[in-house]
Amino acid sequence: MVKILVVDDSEAFRKVMIELLVKVGFHDVTEASNFEEGVQMFRQERPQFTFVDMILPGKSGVELTKELLAIDPETTVIAMSSIINKTMIRQSLDAGAKDFLLKPTNAIALSSVLTMWSD
Amino acid sequence: MVFSLFKKSKAKRSLKESGLGISRKYNLLPGRCYVVEESPPDVSFDAFTNLINTPDAGAKKTVGLAVTRQHPELVRQKYGLENTPIYWLATRTGEEIIAPTNLGILTHTMVKFIDEHPNGVILLDGLEYLISNNDFNKVLRIIDQVSDHISQSSSRLILPVDPRAFEQRELALLERNMEKIQIHKPAQ
Repeated sequence: MVKILVVDDSEAFRKVMIELLVKVGFHDVTEASNFEEGVQMFRQERPQFTFVDMILPGKSGVELTKELLAIDPETTVIAMSSIINKTMIRQSLDAGAKDFLLKPTNAIALSSVLTMWSD
Repeated sequence: MVFSLFKKSKAKRSLKESGLGISRKYNLLPGRCYVVEESPPDVSFDAFTNLINTPDAGAKKTVGLAVTRQHPELVRQKYGLENTPIYWLATRTGEEIIAPTNLGILTHTMVKFIDEHPNGVILLDGLEYLISNNDFNKVLRIIDQVSDHISQSSSRLILPVDPRAFEQRELALLERNMEKIQIHKPAQ
């Protein structure tokens, strides 16, 4: 079963994301609210996909992306944000994120990303 | 002279976005009109910005035209739109503003865009506002007119509608020649 980690400081958004992921067929989902918790959950769960909000309290989503890929270069990180900031998206992709999702996302976009980057 | 120079430079301006290096997430077919029942129009804007920021299967860039009730500057900031023309539906005067009662200009703007950009995408957000300022049948006629042009081109139309603002019969008439983008609404 594909493991997914969602890192976002908004509890409401994490809840929506988990519901959407279940809807599109992914049931093994864990969550974290910041950089430290994200790294801890990533080490513990070793997910294939991690959705990372680019704006996190403390260390940013770009820094978290680098950290996760340093732990496991094979993992797939998808950046997320509620605005399209081209500079920030490029920084995330340069850091190793595979794709970007605009928040609030939906089943179509989410499903497309997961299909695109699944092995 | 100054006016004609301005017009010329504006006409030459590229409407293409620089692209984001991300994947295309919405498979909206050329020559089709899509309706999205939602409020706010999040999925519609996501699909629109995704299309214009990603190359199509032939590696060509898609250009877009947005008509919206939201202030264009807010739309530009939120969706990172630098070159895409955005028309504001509002009862103000100014460039790139279309009055809700001026359905002729609105139709002309969209039809002209389709003719000039046969592989483009139009987002028409604010249908409820148009209907509150006009007779429903008049608005339906312009949607049909634009839809006819779309079907004879490789462009696409994305039409967000708030189903709460329409009678069932009106919604059926609006959607009769359109494909529906089905969205899952998570509990808030």
